[in-house]
Formats: sequence, structure tokens, C-alpha cells
Amino acid sequence: METIKIHDTTPNDLPWKIVYDASRCTLCGSCVAACSFRAIEPKIEKRRMVFSEGDLPDPRARFSAVPVIKQVNSLKNYCRGCGICEKVCPNDAIRPVRNPDTRHPIVTRCIGGDSIKRGGRKNLTGSTRTLDQLRVGRISQMTDPSLDAQRHTFDMLAPFGRILPAKDLPLAVGPDGKLTTTGQAPPVNWIYPVIIGDMSIGALSWRMWEGVAMAVAYLNEECGLPVRMCSGEGGVPVRLLKSKYLKYLILQIASGHFGWNRIIKAMPDMVEDPAGVLIKIGQGAKPGDGGLLQAQKVAEHIMAIRGVPKADLLSPPNHQGLYSIEESVQKMFLSFNAAFKFRVPVAIKVAASATSVSVFNNLVRDPYNIVGGFFLDGIDGGTAAAHEVSLDHTGHPIVSKLRDCYLAAVQQGRQGQIPLWAAGGLGKTGDLAADAFKMICLGANGVFSGKLILQMAGCVGNDMGRCNACNTGLCPAGITTQSPALAHRLNPERVAENIVNYFLAMDQELKKMMAPIGNSSLPVGRADALVAVDQAVANRLKIQYVC
Amino acid sequence: MAVQINGFDDNKRRISTQKLLQQIYAALEQGETSFEVLSSGHHDIGGPLWTSDGAPLAFTVKNPGQRVGSFGLDGTDILVEGSAPADAGWLNAGATLTIKGDSGDTTAHCAASGKIFVAGQVGTRSGSLMKHDPAFSQPELWVLRKTGSFSFEFMGGGLAVICGVDCEEFDSVLGDRACMGMVGGTVYVRGPVNGLSDDVWLVDLDQADQAFLQAGLPEFLTRIDRSELLDTLSDMGQWKKIVAKTYEERNAKDRISIREFRLNKWVEGGIFGDIVKDDYNHVACLVNSGDDRLKIPHWMEKRYAAPCQSSCPSFIPTQDRLKLLREGKETEALQLVLRYSPFPGSVCGMVCPNLCMDACSRRFLDTPVSMKQLGKLSIDIPAPACAADTGKSVAVIGGGPGGLSAAWQLRLQGHAVTVYEADRHLGGKLWQVIPTERLPAEILEKEIERILSIGVKAELNCKIDRALFDKLRQQHDAVVIASGAHNPVVIPFPGHERLVKGLDFLKQINAGERPAIGDRVVVIGAGNAGMDVVLGAYTAGAKKVIAIDVQRPAAYQKEIDHVKSLGGEIRWPVYTEKISEKGLHTKDGELIEADSVIISIGERPDLSYVPTEWLTDRGMMNVNGCWQIKTGQERIDNVFAIGDTTRPGLLTNAIGHGHEAADYCSDFLNGLEIIERKKPEVIPQHRLSKELFRPRNRGRLQVNDAREETTRCISCGTCRDCSFCLEACPEAAIRRIEKEDGSFEYVSDAHLCIGCGICSGICPCGIWTMEQVV
Repeated sequence: METIKIHDTTPNDLPWKIVYDASRCTLCGSCVAACSFRAIEPKIEKRRMVFSEGDLPDPRARFSAVPVIKQVNSLKNYCRGCGICEKVCPNDAIRPVRNPDTRHPIVTRCIGGDSIKRGGRKNLTGSTRTLDQLRVGRISQMTDPSLDAQRHTFDMLAPFGRILPAKDLPLAVGPDGKLTTTGQAPPVNWIYPVIIGDMSIGALSWRMWEGVAMAVAYLNEECGLPVRMCSGEGGVPVRLLKSKYLKYLILQIASGHFGWNRIIKAMPDMVEDPAGVLIKIGQGAKPGDGGLLQAQKVAEHIMAIRGVPKADLLSPPNHQGLYSIEESVQKMFLSFNAAFKFRVPVAIKVAASATSVSVFNNLVRDPYNIVGGFFLDGIDGGTAAAHEVSLDHTGHPIVSKLRDCYLAAVQQGRQGQIPLWAAGGLGKTGDLAADAFKMICLGANGVFSGKLILQMAGCVGNDMGRCNACNTGLCPAGITTQSPALAHRLNPERVAENIVNYFLAMDQELKKMMAPIGNSSLPVGRADALVAVDQAVANRLKIQYVC
Repeated sequence: MAVQINGFDDNKRRISTQKLLQQIYAALEQGETSFEVLSSGHHDIGGPLWTSDGAPLAFTVKNPGQRVGSFGLDGTDILVEGSAPADAGWLNAGATLTIKGDSGDTTAHCAASGKIFVAGQVGTRSGSLMKHDPAFSQPELWVLRKTGSFSFEFMGGGLAVICGVDCEEFDSVLGDRACMGMVGGTVYVRGPVNGLSDDVWLVDLDQADQAFLQAGLPEFLTRIDRSELLDTLSDMGQWKKIVAKTYEERNAKDRISIREFRLNKWVEGGIFGDIVKDDYNHVACLVNSGDDRLKIPHWMEKRYAAPCQSSCPSFIPTQDRLKLLREGKETEALQLVLRYSPFPGSVCGMVCPNLCMDACSRRFLDTPVSMKQLGKLSIDIPAPACAADTGKSVAVIGGGPGGLSAAWQLRLQGHAVTVYEADRHLGGKLWQVIPTERLPAEILEKEIERILSIGVKAELNCKIDRALFDKLRQQHDAVVIASGAHNPVVIPFPGHERLVKGLDFLKQINAGERPAIGDRVVVIGAGNAGMDVVLGAYTAGAKKVIAIDVQRPAAYQKEIDHVKSLGGEIRWPVYTEKISEKGLHTKDGELIEADSVIISIGERPDLSYVPTEWLTDRGMMNVNGCWQIKTGQERIDNVFAIGDTTRPGLLTNAIGHGHEAADYCSDFLNGLEIIERKKPEVIPQHRLSKELFRPRNRGRLQVNDAREETTRCISCGTCRDCSFCLEACPEAAIRRIEKEDGSFEYVSDAHLCIGCGICSGICPCGIWTMEQVV
């Protein structure tokens, strides 16, 4: 007699079900050896048949017991649908399938009494992305010459730093008739228009983080693409701080200020300035929420770099010492400009919000010329760990908000002075060039992307609930884990190679879109190049509606 | 005599291209084959034109417009006197075009056959998309000086010769970024070349190349009237040629590999090299052996207790008894229990509710292994030998199951033990109150005899008071207080003086008396003791006994069933209002008529002989986890208290306490530090692969052979040596190792094991345990 009760968890309740074919299984153990979530286990199954073979009732019973692979009935060790079992199975005997009847969102809360946490991106489906409603619709043909993407020289550079109008530049004509500088101009780095978004060394395995850093160095040194990466909050390896490759790294400061002790201590030994400093105020994937590094990912080197014990590490939602926009500018911008003697540009990152334009307008005034960029992060961005409710339901789409900010600057005649960088689900379809190009046409100077980088590296997750377990430290790809056995799965060289190749491909694709609209430099604000196939989108973004 | 084609009308006004071309067509129709064209920028002069008999056509053109010689066919020879604008020779399909001056942009664009000779230079994108149709001869483009930028873009075939004459001041005779996208053909070039695309190679000439140039140069120079240059240009050492990379070469990356970058250019030793020990050359598979396993199996014999043992208050390892029986070691098996209890027959075999069987994992398959019978088998087993005398002595106060258990264990460990019993007989409640129909006296006698047989001394009829207690403490090295609970609890209902106390009643019954209780009896309290009282009442002649309780009866089902089989009735919840001569009145106003009302809701210990600071506020002995007396933060090392003096419990609880207290007491007597021992936790059911056991049909199952019962035992937490793990391991990583003492173990080889957990998942006994690395 089975003793199952109504409140017992079964695979019916879970988001994924394991489909298993015992007749194909050789019990090689690969799936159970490889599953990092402990979501499947070997078990014995009974087989019983009662039969009669004679002419008369002649009851016989046949009994056997066979080892099989079973799904674990647990809300803790539940299948995330990562598909590693399917990947390693030599006989196609096992795979996860999405369970449309899952009760997981309910029972997990009922049993845990705690909010659901996960990584990944917004998982609500059903809405069409705004960017997919846009086309590059203005093709230069008979009216003006289009460019040849393969042969033309393109200027693919975007500014990170405060751009002064020509009249404000500290320049004067000297007595000899030559131009001389009369003061220090705000620093500006002209970089590739796609920044690798801020992912911390706590969120990523050391192999992943180093693979990304290598890719960036390689793109710069070997391919001539001036790509920059942002460190994320949580410290930077001292060896990198002291290397010449620091110049490709944008250092991040967030509310937890994790890791800055070692950065400051390394300053006397730095041979290069960093590419910039990014003050993180908010994150698009979980606006209003601070960083969340769960204890299982706080490895020893993380404890050392961050100076904390093994525990859930929460960055406060707010910077503890900041109470207003004015104060943010005065205190944070000033401090980080001063940290590198005003040689390194400093930008700020906020979650896109209904109030973003006000914030941006405030920064645009920037009387001290210390605001080096406005990074606007929309919903649909990724994160390693957040409350599911934040991931799925809070935040603001990036497209219209970026457009609003750009147009606000245009209205004041100040566009381009504070570079606008946008993110939030860009590249979600796998095609970052198209998204980046459209965002640039709408007014962004450049874009930044994190989650897509993980997917380049081998992340098997997606936005339909697959895997999304970055918070658990059990990443099957070795990307968002600090467990050696899992991290060893990741080949840092392949990580770098994949990122390099993606960027090279994307570089071609960006040119493939710049060429037909006849731009040899980034078409910042060239919204005339876009058309919308949706009337509402067209109206909202102030671009042409076509059908 | 060539026909004159004039690009101007009679008024010296320029005519349209269409009119000029119509003049040519008309002349051609009339059989003319030689044309002198005075053009004024008219387009498309020279092709595509032909004669029906194949006779060649000759054009001399002055001042042509764009696309002179375009679409030109074999047999057409065009001479441009002076320069030509853009697209000269465009889509040339076989004509020979000679331009005496410079030629404009995109000269020879898409030329696929024929020859084009240019006496000066050509403009930007010249030679682009030239191609060679293998059915016809190759197109040729000969240029005396140089090309503009972006020359030979997407060139797919044909030959071009750029002589570089008078170009010393230029960086490149091919302009900037020549040969972008070039996939075929050859460009011969003399003079500096810079900014070539990555799609081509710039290489030296071979013999065939030299032969081609040496053959072609005289004709070219003759046509453009520069034969004097032949010697200069014939110095083959000044020439190079450009050929397209092959498809394979084009796809080969010339960047260094990431590995080379990491090893030679990246931060030495990696940026995490100082804080993380890792070898990036090692990339783990998804399935691994050794250190990259996600789980590691351990063969953990007895890591968990079997449910029978764990649920047994005396902690009797029945799974071990059954294992010994399976191995044919009957004597050892039946003796083993005596290490845990001196009453296997009386308690395990007779009166114990057998919590072991209630917990038995086999109950999920068919019925629990029969442990009651197993207990009875040990009634006649002689006592084990005692350890050598230690010279220490212990006083045990109380000769009930707890006291005798402590005495038994202490004596077995070599200590001298004296039991002080208030009654005239050892056995405590076993002897005093358990109905003899549940526990025949002769069985109890045998087991008490066995206790005495090892040298336990007994002082009967010895009621302890404070003075005697103090004296015993002085006389002995340690004291164990096990005087039980003998003061029945009475609730002061109105009429409570009419109540008969259950314990006293049972003592009378067991002493052979027949108290007069009448026909109708009500028993307050439906616990196990209450059930004993009901039995006693029937023994004493009652006709109808009703047990009541305020809650669901706490008695075990088998006790309740026994009572019901005698006609007894159990009612709950029933709240007593008062007792009268008519019987028991409930709070609901009901009268349950009774001649006697017996109360059996428990007993309290009489501990007037110990200091009051040793008692809890409920009047029980205050003990720590080692059964030592606690007084505040202090403990009294050599006084232990057990059984009902500490908390109400079953007989088997008292036996268990006695065993534990004896072990701690012995540690004390042997001068060891007393540290509380934790019992292994009970094995979780999910660890057992019970599915491997075929359930017996309950309809046929009869217990009549101990040996057969042993095979039904799952052996929870204790390896039954079936070697299923050894067979099932997919990597054959498990071996069985036999040790010198006859014991064995299974081990998994870390170099082979992949951490799949099959050993753990299929182990019937739950021995293999997976250590979670990740």
C-alpha cells in the first residue's frame, strides 16, 4: 500500500518532469553522476505480474525488481530542466520536459514561507519585444550612396566619459597661433559600443570571470576591437589590477562596496588606469533590490577579496550614504573622479524607471564635468540571484526610457554630453547586433550586456524557465558556481574564444546595418533609420509607422 | 575607307547617344566594317556589334563618353585616341580596346573576355569583378601606369598587368585597399604596392608568368606606341603578382589561438593564480571519476540504526540477532540479547508492546518480522560470563525491571552489586502487577534466577529511608536509584474516597487475593495499566467492565483488543463529575452504574529518602543525559536514577535506562570521564531498497520457523552482504574485502567511481551513503 498523502510533493508539482525510458537505459550512471541539482537518483522499481496460463484459473505471480533512474520528489532538489542528463545519456533514455501543470510557484511558497529566488532573466512570456517591432527601414539606395560593409572603414567608437561642447573645451590659441590647453579636460575613453556588463567574481566562477577578462584583452590586443568589461561589484583580482590589462576594465562600485579595499591598496602598483568607474545604483533585473550572493557561492577566495565570512551576502538596495541625486553627484562622482586624479571617467548605472528622465536631467546639468555616462538598465536583464517576484514583475522596459532620456537631452541641446548606455534583455534573441544597432539609432551611445555573455560561454538556461539556477551555486555549466568540481567543467579558453568570435561576428553584423543606412560612424539618435511595424510603438518612440 | 560617324549635326550641335549609335547601326547594315567616330561624350560606343560573315570591325574613337567598348565582341577592335571616361571596357565580351590616354573609374569592370590596353592610368575600382568564363579566353587589362584605389575588388578571374611606369612618387601603384574580396585571377604589378586586402597573396613570378608577360608586353607597348619601354619592363625582377587566397586559405585564421594568448601574453599564472589553485589545462567532463565527482560513495556499515533497534527503549539490535541467525550462529544470536536486557523472555517475549515490530521496515511489505517469538527463544539461554571483578560495589535501590537491568549490566562488567528491594520478591511491577495470564510466573522466575546466577545480591523487604540511603552511599562506590513509582495518582472528584486505586488492586490480584469489586466495574484511565486493571477486574469476577478516558486511549491496540475480547468496553472522551454509591457520574449528567470505580491514571514515585534538592518541581529525580543526579548546575557523579523515578515509562524503558546508567556508572567506577553517548539515528526509510524484497502473501504467511523469519529481515543499516552494489556499479569500481577477523567491507575505487550513486540507490540495507561534494 502506498502511503502517499495529498501534501506530499511529486513530480506533478514540479516545474520539470523527467521522462525516462527504462527499456533504453543501460544504467551507466552518467545522468545521475552529472546532475548537479540532485534532481534524479537511482532507485529500485518493483515489477509484478499476476497471471494464469492454464485452461483453468491457475494463479501465478511473477516478481522482479530492477534498478532505474527516478526523479527526486523534492522542492529543494528539483529538476531545473537544464538537460544535462539528456546531454550525457548515450541512449536517449532520459530528458526533462516542461510541466505546464506545475504547482511549484504555490507549494514552494507554502512550504518555505520564504520568497522564491532564482537567477536568469524575466521568465514571463507572451509579450512581443519592442525591439522586434522595429526594422532598419531606411535603406540608402538611389538617394544617397550606401556603404559596403566589408570594404568601408567604419568608426565604431562610443564615448565613456564626459563630452564637452567645443566651446567649453579648455583650449585657447597661443601667441604663436597654435592651439594650447588651458586646463584638464574631462577624461573620455572611446570604446566599442558593446560593454560586457557587470558580473562579479562572486556571481561567476573564477574560470568564467577570467575567461571573460581574457576575451576582452584578446579582442583589444589581437583583433583591434576596444571592448571593455565591467568588473561587477565584489572585487577584482589583484593580479589584474596590477597588470597592463586593467585598462580594459571598468571598475564597479555598488552599495556593498565589496572588494574596494584591495583596489585601493593596489593603486600604488597600478601600471595602467582602469577604463572607467561605474557607480551602480540599481540593476534592471531586480530594481530596488541589492546584490544577493548566496552563502553557497561564497568561496574562500571570495571571502578573502571581499573581506567577509561565509554567509548570504546582501548588498543594500541603496547606497548607505546617499540620500538624493545631488548628493550622488557630489559625493560619489567626486570621490571616484578623485580616486584616479580625474584621469578616469566615472559613470553611473541605474535601473530604468518611470523617474529615469528626471534623474538624467539632473545629471545632464553636471556643473563640475564629472558625470561620464548614464547607464540605464531595463527589465529583462539577467542576474545571478534575485527574488523571482522582482525578476518577473518589477522594472521598466529599456527602449522607451532610453528614448525619453535621449530626447530630453536633445530638447536641451545637450545630447551626447553625458553618454547614454542601455541594457536590459538586449540580445535576448541571440542577436545582439540588431538590438544594439536599434538602441543606438534611438539615442544610445552604446549598450551593455551580461546574460548573453553567459550564454556565449555555454549557459544552458533560457527565458522560459530552463535552469535559471545561478543563485544555487550548482550551475551545470560551471559558469555561476564556486564549486571546483563544477567550475572545472568550464574551459576558460573556450569561454574566451566564444566571446571573441561572437564579438567578431557582431562587429560584422553591426557594419552590415550601418552600411545600408549610409553611416560610417555609429548612428546615435538616427531614429529616421528605423521604422515600426506597430503603431503604438511608433508613436511612443516618435518614429515612422509602416505596414 | 572608314565610314565617318559624327557626333554633331549640321548645326554643330551635339546629337544624342541614341542618334549616334543609330548611325553606326545603319552603316553596319550597309556593310561597313570600319568606323571613325567623332564623339562628344557619347556612351556605349563599340558594342555589342557583329557582322553576318564574321568580318572584323574596327573603330577609331575620339572623345568617347562612358562605357566605350562595353559589351564588345570578338573581332571588334576599338582605338580611343586620347583618354576615356568611366567604365571603358565594361562587360567586355571579346573586343580589343586600346586607350591612348588615361581611362576613368571602373575600367574593365566586369570584363570577361577580350583585351584592354591603357596607355596611361586607370581610375578607382578598375578591374573590379573581372571574371573568366572557361569557355572563352581570359580577359586582359594592361595599364602602363597605375590604378586608383579599390582596384580589382571582387575580381574572380582574368589577368591584369599594371606596369607602374612613372609612379615612383606613389605609395602604391594599385591605390589603397586593392583586391578587396578578390577570389580569382592574377594581377601582375610592377612598382610599390601597399594596403592590399587580406584576401590575396603578393608573390614572385614563376616561369609561366614571365613567359606571359614577355609574350604580351611587345603587343601592348606597340599598341600604345611606347615600344621604347620594352627593355625596362622586361626586367622580370621588378614584377610581382597578386593572386587570391584559396577558399581554404581564406578561412584560416591568422590570429593567435586563445591558448597561445593565455600562455604567452596574459597575466602570468592567471589572474586568480594567487588565490585559487586550479589548472586550466584540466577541463572536466560532465561525468568524471576522482576529484571532480559531484558525489562520493561511502560504505557506512551501522551508520544508521535499524528501526527495530532504534524504537526499542532497550536498544536491542534485533537486526544483528537475525543476521547471526542467518549465518547459522544460533547461540550467539540468542545470547546477544542478554547484553541488552536480562528479560528477553518476560519482557520482549511476553509483556512488551514490541515497539520494535511496530517500527519494523518489513511492515511496508507484508508483516513485521516476529520479534516476540525471538525473545522467548532466549529464556533458557545461560548468562554470559562476567568480566573480572573490579573490586567496586554498587547499591541498586529497587529490584524492578530497571534496577535489575542496571544490576545485571554492572555485574556483567565485573562490579559487585546489591539490590535493595522493599517487597518480599524481586521483579517489581513485573511480579507485582502484571497479570499472570500475560506473564507466567515461571518465566519471570527463570530470568530472575539468571540474574542472581551471576552473583547479583539481593536484600529483600528492605524499605529505604534517608538514614539507610546515606549509609548505602557510604558503603558503596555508587548508587542507582530505581525504586519505581508506587503512589497511585488520585483526582479529588467528589466521592473520590470511594475510588479503588488501580496499582493496589493489581498488587492484590497478583498476590492471589480476590478483592470484592462487584459485577459492574468502571476503570478511569484507558492506558496500558488501565487495561491491566480491566483484566484484573475480570479475574476478580467482574461481569462488565467499562474503561473511560478523557482522551483517545493511550493503550496499545493489542491490549485494547484483548480487553474487548473479554467483553470490556472503552469510552472516550468521558469527563468525570463525581463518584457515588451508584457509580460514576459524568459531566454530561450521565450515570455509569458501577459497584466499584477503579482509578488507574498513573503513579508517582516515593522519593522521600533522597534530599529534596535532587528532585524536580514535579517530585521526580532530576537527572542529566547520563542519568546522574543534577542539582542546579552541579551533578553528583556516583548517584544515578532511572526508570519511573525520572519519568513514567514502559518496562522496556526502565530496562534501557538501567543499561545506560550501568554503562555510565561503570565508566565512573573505572575512572573514565563520563561523556554522554549519542545513539545512531534511525535509518530513513527512503534509504532502504525494500523493493528488492518480494512481499509474502499475508494470506499465506505463517510464522513457525525462526530461520525463515530471518530471511524476511531487511537488515536495515547493517550490510547483508548481497553484493548487489558490486554487480550494479556501472564502472565495476566496487570490491568486497574480507578481513582477517572474518569481517568484510565493500570499497569503491575513487579512480574508477563516477559518483553516480547507483550503489547507494539500490542498496537494500541503506549502507552506501553518498557524500555530496557539490
